Amino acid sequence: MKKQNALLTKLFTYTVFAGPVTLAFFTVIIIPFLYGLFLTFTNWDGVASNFAMVGFENYKTIFKDSGFIQSLKLTFKYVIFTVAITNAVSFSLAAILTSGTKGQNFFRAGFFTPNLIGGVALGYVWQFFFNNILTYMGKTIEIPTLQASFLSSPGQAFWALVMVAVWQYSGYMMIIYITGFLNVPKDVLEAASIDGAEGWTRVKHVIMPLIMPSFTISVFLTLQRTFMVYDVNLALTKGGPFKTTELISMYVYKKAFNERAYGIGQAQAVVLFIIVAIISITQVYLSKKKEVEA
Amino acid sequence: MNKSKKVLSLLLCGVMGLSFGVGCAKDPAVSSNQNQTSESQSAANTDKAGQGEAVKIAFLNSKGEIQAQLENMAKSFNEDYPNITVEIMPCPVGQSPTEILTTMYAANNTPAIVMLDPADVAAFKDKASDLSDEKWVSDAMPGSLDTLKADDKLIGFPFAVEGWGLIYNKAVLDEAGVDASAINTTSELEDAFKKIEASGKKGVVITSADWSLGAHLFTTAYSGQADNMSDIKAFLNGLAGGSTQIKDNAVVNGLLDTFDVMKKYNIAKSDPLSATYETNPEVIGSEKVGFWFMGNWAWSPIKDFAGDNTAFGFIPVPVSNNEADYGNNHMPAATTKALILDTAVNSKEQQEAAKTFLNWIVYEAKGQKGLVEECSIIPAFTNITLEINDPLGKSIQSYIKDGKTSIGVMLSNKHWGDVGAAMQKYLGDYSTREELFAEITTYWTSGDYK
Repeated sequence: MKKQNALLTKLFTYTVFAGPVTLAFFTVIIIPFLYGLFLTFTNWDGVASNFAMVGFENYKTIFKDSGFIQSLKLTFKYVIFTVAITNAVSFSLAAILTSGTKGQNFFRAGFFTPNLIGGVALGYVWQFFFNNILTYMGKTIEIPTLQASFLSSPGQAFWALVMVAVWQYSGYMMIIYITGFLNVPKDVLEAASIDGAEGWTRVKHVIMPLIMPSFTISVFLTLQRTFMVYDVNLALTKGGPFKTTELISMYVYKKAFNERAYGIGQAQAVVLFIIVAIISITQVYLSKKKEVEA
Repeated sequence: MNKSKKVLSLLLCGVMGLSFGVGCAKDPAVSSNQNQTSESQSAANTDKAGQGEAVKIAFLNSKGEIQAQLENMAKSFNEDYPNITVEIMPCPVGQSPTEILTTMYAANNTPAIVMLDPADVAAFKDKASDLSDEKWVSDAMPGSLDTLKADDKLIGFPFAVEGWGLIYNKAVLDEAGVDASAINTTSELEDAFKKIEASGKKGVVITSADWSLGAHLFTTAYSGQADNMSDIKAFLNGLAGGSTQIKDNAVVNGLLDTFDVMKKYNIAKSDPLSATYETNPEVIGSEKVGFWFMGNWAWSPIKDFAGDNTAFGFIPVPVSNNEADYGNNHMPAATTKALILDTAVNSKEQQEAAKTFLNWIVYEAKGQKGLVEECSIIPAFTNITLEINDPLGKSIQSYIKDGKTSIGVMLSNKHWGDVGAAMQKYLGDYSTREELFAEITTYWTSGDYK
């Protein structure tokens, strides 16, 4: 009798506190996800009232689709460079801005600001920068490489995307690293200094292991954000010139909505989900293992 | 420290409070405004609008350049029919309206009237209402409804006829001693470019957007195949079936020869892919170039830079050096925007209101005036005699009057994306003509065209 009551109380508490969230989670995440999964087995075009079940046909077409593979490769390249550069830059910024530089609060705020600008607005601002300001500078001071817009050459447009992403995310990741730096116990650092560890040695052997949790979070966030990027891609290059910067989200979106192959697009999205999930979980698992307690 | 924190939190509270206040204050103001106007209007024409509840319908506009004009039309429609409010929703320039509509259907939030490209109309056949019995069908221009039918039902309203070709700025041409009407071969066009360059200006500007290159410039070669739809269809079917090779086609090669000449005299020659639709109107409007490949929809952006100069017009893009060849004197023109009425999400009343709006455009003086004079749209209806108020539209209207238009070919989004990308590569000298043909052939054999 008492046990049953306890269960009821528990259930009641759960419903009161977590019920609304559970409901929201189911209606906006779980159900759409399952419905989306169901749609991958159909040939729905996105608008028709009727559609037929096609089994695994959509999944089979994915790996025959050279555009998808190419876009996936491009996305991997983009993720690798963006994650590496963003984390290197934000780690360095955090190191500098916790070392007692003059005006460090001002700089922290300054570097964080890009993160507050929405992706689309940011894309247009940078488009203007690449197309007009940079080319104008190139013409005025006569540097031939700057005279043509970055965005009109297939090789450089990719780097333009990487640059903007690094600029956008570095500030946010920097804040996470700064928290990490501030949490390194002073006594450990002092002990290290007494033992003669200075400069790079101190960073590598004392600080880095202690702020491993910051790495875990930052790398995870940058990985996930860069894999799924769409807004900056759309506003900055629209996938151009001639589709050379079409990252995977844009490719999937175009497949589903522009070419009206909703089933195939959805199936590609599921494959993308699996890839991103595997990579993120592996990354979190590996870096968790490296975390140490002070 | 503590004090400044308190001040900060107070400030934050203030800001939040204000924003709530603003959010609340806005709506009543707007609705009371609407009430006022509709009251005064219903007093003015009680005869028309006595019956019927207030109906609100939305209109998805995919011609960004006439957004403000359409809003005005919606307002004057509301004066005639106070119980119907039309809300105009914009869709960004260069983004496909089908894409947006598909997402809107996915969200179950579809406007009653949707402006689409005719090639996409058929895809929505089981959501769109059958318009075959509407009065305006008998007043539509011959040929303008061909692309708007699906399963023998008419589901689209031809909203706009548009034409595309080389826009010229007469001031630049006069200065260089060029007569636009005499240009009807590739070499004459090149001579014109040379003369313009000699006068210190540049010959032409080519917009590098995929929709311009893929959906308008390249399709000029399809239009130039024949003067009737069935022969053009036969040609396209040949391409899709593999029995016709694009590289062997004389018109396609002729068009690309002209394109090569245009590339040579392009103002953005050093960086051709940086020429965007947003910046090109300035170049032709302020007399930096003589020609621009675009359509009549570009008048309103050009106007901003042209000042009092309204001497602009079109010539077709020549496709050979023989002036008698078909296409050298004919401008591609087509129904480029169609309206469909949604039946899946909107109520019966909303559908009826949408039909009323269409009839108002075609038959009421105010609607005609809004369409032709304010939006500068070339109407597809023969009962409308108003002359369009912009030089580019006038130029197309005169081509239509003289029977000198060819059939503008409108194909799918994938065609514009794939062929547009291939043309961008060719424009930027990243590919040769053989590679261009290979990529276009890849599109045609991909099975997208049915």
